[in-house]
Amino acid sequence: MCESMTDTHDMPVLEVEGLSKRYRDGTWANRDISFDVEPGELVGILGPNGAGKTTLVRQITTELIPTSGTVRILGRDAVSEPDSVKPMLGVVPQEANLYWGLTVFHHLRLFGRLRGLSHRDARARADHVIESLRLQEHRDRPIEALSGGLKRRVLVGIAALTRPSIMVLDEPTTGLDPESRRDVWSFIRQYKSEGTTVLLTTHYMEEAETLADRVAIIHEGRLLALDTVDGLRAAHGLEFKVTFSRGDGTGEPETIYGADDGALVEQVRATGVRQYAVSRANLEDVYLALTGSKERLDGES
Amino acid sequence: MAKASEGPEPLSGPLRTGGIVKFLSDVAVVAEIKLRMSARVWHWQLFAVLAMPLPLFILTSTFVPDDPEALRRIIAGTLLFGVAFSIGLLTGNQFAYERFGQIQKLYVMMPVAKTAYVAGSLVHLSVVGAVSVVVLFGFAMTRGIDVRIAWTTLPMLVLAVLVIMGLVLFIVSFAPSLDTANMSASTVGLLLAVMSPVYYTMEQAPLLIRWFGYVSPLRYAADGISASLSGSTDVLFEMAVLAGFALVAMALGLWKLPWRET
Repeated sequence: MCESMTDTHDMPVLEVEGLSKRYRDGTWANRDISFDVEPGELVGILGPNGAGKTTLVRQITTELIPTSGTVRILGRDAVSEPDSVKPMLGVVPQEANLYWGLTVFHHLRLFGRLRGLSHRDARARADHVIESLRLQEHRDRPIEALSGGLKRRVLVGIAALTRPSIMVLDEPTTGLDPESRRDVWSFIRQYKSEGTTVLLTTHYMEEAETLADRVAIIHEGRLLALDTVDGLRAAHGLEFKVTFSRGDGTGEPETIYGADDGALVEQVRATGVRQYAVSRANLEDVYLALTGSKERLDGES
Repeated sequence: MAKASEGPEPLSGPLRTGGIVKFLSDVAVVAEIKLRMSARVWHWQLFAVLAMPLPLFILTSTFVPDDPEALRRIIAGTLLFGVAFSIGLLTGNQFAYERFGQIQKLYVMMPVAKTAYVAGSLVHLSVVGAVSVVVLFGFAMTRGIDVRIAWTTLPMLVLAVLVIMGLVLFIVSFAPSLDTANMSASTVGLLLAVMSPVYYTMEQAPLLIRWFGYVSPLRYAADGISASLSGSTDVLFEMAVLAGFALVAMALGLWKLPWRET
């Protein structure tokens, strides 16, 4: 159970309503974004670079003041009451550095103190996180001696020190090797299984599909959809796909999508094609359909 | 992978998220972080805080008569010149490094007050600056200069550090990049020290510097410290003026220091 001081029963952990950010040069980083995250849920925010994911995260974590809209963490307003919201948050920023010269243990212990832990608890939690993130052999190494992936793991550890009500992870596995990525996934799953709510941004389809209970698709600053992967597939009639090549089978592969696999196969066979592959549509297909390839896909199907 | 399935030990008490104890604890933690970094490169840090004051003292003391009053003014001037330059530079470097190096955001998103962050840095800079003060006094005493340090010396020095720190914070907050921040930090401290009558009295100063001296906090600091080094505690006027400057400078610095982004 989370150790932040607010009771989490019966209310969304995170409520975002009509959130927009317009920078001084007139650029809209995001517009009118609204969604809730329920207790214990892991919501993945999927979008390409520049889609507005980091802006959204920075607004939620109190770092960036929105132009309009509200963000509530367990009922507290993150815009007007940042001090009461921060203890409930554990954040891994997309771009953040650590202190040259300080060891892994010192980072975790000292940032644990800043998160409000006592001396004794900060030490104990630092060692626990080191073990959980498999950083034991790096415990007393200065941060500059660590690879980028290991530093990223330390940042994840700092976010998790107080077992916050909600962890906000902005592309936590970007730049990590596959093994480190799986370690971080495992760590996130562990915290989720213990009741921590997680909001995670990513541009890896696999990450969103593997970890998230629900996926939000964000594009050009707007929230296009938010649902389970199955829900997204169903809502957009993208349950199945059939991939085939015309002619002798060596041409450019084409894919058509639809809700009924039988109808899709009939459609392909009607063109004289006899070699094709039928599979369930995945998140990437839904994503492509929503973020710009909609017309092409509609045309094909 | 994780052994987290066992879960961590429960906390021995509730999280401390606000109040004066949390504030003081945060100040101590920020200072510890920075002192640990300094300790790792202590020889470079020592060089940084001594490189300016000691040679300056040796150089300037050769130009004045062997008069205790004049030599005390030289010590006061060197202290302030050193403080203004070294502390100004270190302040600018540190805040610019943390802001543009994406470290400061870790504090912004934690339950840490901006004032605690700045105060922790102030503690660190004061400890580093104290090294140069001790070395300078030690050097002056070995040269047989008659120095009788009154209690007022310390608060005058602390106030001078606050003024420099506040002004540098204010100026570097406008800087758009790490390079410009570093450049402006060193320029502010140096300019303030050069333009103020710190090595000589107002009566001895050229007209232009005398005008500047009326509004320069370092002039009041130099007058106060110079008197304090002869054992006098009759510097309350200078202390009050310097405290006013420190209040305004720190208020400006804290106000402009980027924290939550708009």
